[in-house]
Amino acid sequence: MYDVHTHRAETNVDDIKISANDVQVYYGDTHAIKDVSIEIEAKCVTAFIGPSGCGKSTFLRCLNRMNDTIDICRVEGQILLDEEDIYDKRVDPVQLRAKVGMVFQKPNPFPKSIYDNIAYGPRIHGLANSKADLDVIVEKSLRRGAIWDEVKDRLHAPGTGLSGGQQQRLCIARAVATEPEVLLMDEPCSALDPIATAQVEELIDELRQDYSVVIVTHSMQQAARVSQKTAFFHLGNLVEFGETGKIFTNPEDPRTESYITGRIG
Amino acid sequence: MTELNNHIVSAFDRDLEGIQAQIMKMGGLVEAAIMEAATSLETRDIEKAERVRNGDKLIDALEETLNDEAARVIALRAPTASDLRVVLSVMRMSSNLERIGDLAKNIAKRTDVLVQMPQVGDTPTSLRRMAREVELMLKDALDAYIQRDDALALDVIARDEDVDKMHNALFREFLTFMLEDPSNITACMHLHFIAKNIERMGDHVTSIAEQVVFLATGQKPEDARQKGDETAAELGQHSASNGS
Repeated sequence: MYDVHTHRAETNVDDIKISANDVQVYYGDTHAIKDVSIEIEAKCVTAFIGPSGCGKSTFLRCLNRMNDTIDICRVEGQILLDEEDIYDKRVDPVQLRAKVGMVFQKPNPFPKSIYDNIAYGPRIHGLANSKADLDVIVEKSLRRGAIWDEVKDRLHAPGTGLSGGQQQRLCIARAVATEPEVLLMDEPCSALDPIATAQVEELIDELRQDYSVVIVTHSMQQAARVSQKTAFFHLGNLVEFGETGKIFTNPEDPRTESYITGRIG
Repeated sequence: MTELNNHIVSAFDRDLEGIQAQIMKMGGLVEAAIMEAATSLETRDIEKAERVRNGDKLIDALEETLNDEAARVIALRAPTASDLRVVLSVMRMSSNLERIGDLAKNIAKRTDVLVQMPQVGDTPTSLRRMAREVELMLKDALDAYIQRDDALALDVIARDEDVDKMHNALFREFLTFMLEDPSNITACMHLHFIAKNIERMGDHVTSIAEQVVFLATGQKPEDARQKGDETAAELGQHSASNGS
């Protein structure tokens, strides 16, 4: 390729954070995810794209066992986080979700103060021994969420009083407060305006220094902007997974091409 | 390349079809300019030469329009994958076509000068044949573009070698005429520039064909053949033999 991406984000291919092998997901009789195998790299942003109902969110939710909360949902196959099976009986899903944090489509701060929104996770996981420890965690998390400067003078005001974009960054700050290793984001910007979206995207790029980020997005431009790797899902299958620059300039599969160029597939 | 469906947003299809129609129009004008320039030289037709010179303005204007519209599509539609390649290739091809147009115009200008001089051999006919070859290559390159036919484009690239050979042969012929009678030198210099112009046109057509391969496959063709301009070496030999 002679054109496109002068700036190619670095990824360390040796470092696999999550490895999924032949994952199947069923909702009752519906086979929602079919034979998905994927390796998600550490310190890299991986985007899942695909039309509505293609299974990308379902698959994302498998990565921290959020699907456990749905009675009719059944997950088969193997998902390894740092080579340990997250569906093993000995794994406590609550502990897992502290390691694999999640940010949702709509900002959902707790109806508590900004401070308590962040402090909640570290408290229940016993990450802080004293009030001073907790203060440090709260400040650090809010700084990582790129929202510290905007809220430092009103930490005890309710989190729900913030703007949508601020609420979403608060939720990201809350997700990083428990020192997760992986951050899952399910359409984190779809309820935000372009400026708040840009701020969250900038934040995602910064978070990549410390975490693996997996983001589900309907905005292909967003996937192109923030991710290093892109996976395209279609009808429950993982159709194509590869370097983002390649997926958006010269995809291998005609289904990927149709989708990213906005054609009737 | 697999046949792709239409875009969901049909205005995007119309935009892409629009710029592709423009590049074809430009290609048609440039094809005609190549042949008209070469024929005007062969038939010593000043009026035809003047038409080529004037026609170049339209080609230049089309290039501008195309670049503006391609930039617009990039800004408004954010094309990706094959759509992006359509836009990129159109921009590059329009620049190649514009250069071919300039070279045809230059031939027409030299025709004006050459008609004032006695004809040198039947070289204008050879030049017209060479131009015809380039024009056919361009026609095939444009057909390959429409069909997304990378095999045909690769064939065009290979054929540029023939054009280079014709150029080398003509160069030898001009050299002989000049050595025979120095009064031929002015005309032969002009004729040689014309031959060189046509040879350069072949290179631009090759570059267009490379864009077709890029458009169809997403990759530039594997390195192209050796460039066949041996005239520099020939000239060295001649001066060496004259000196001894």
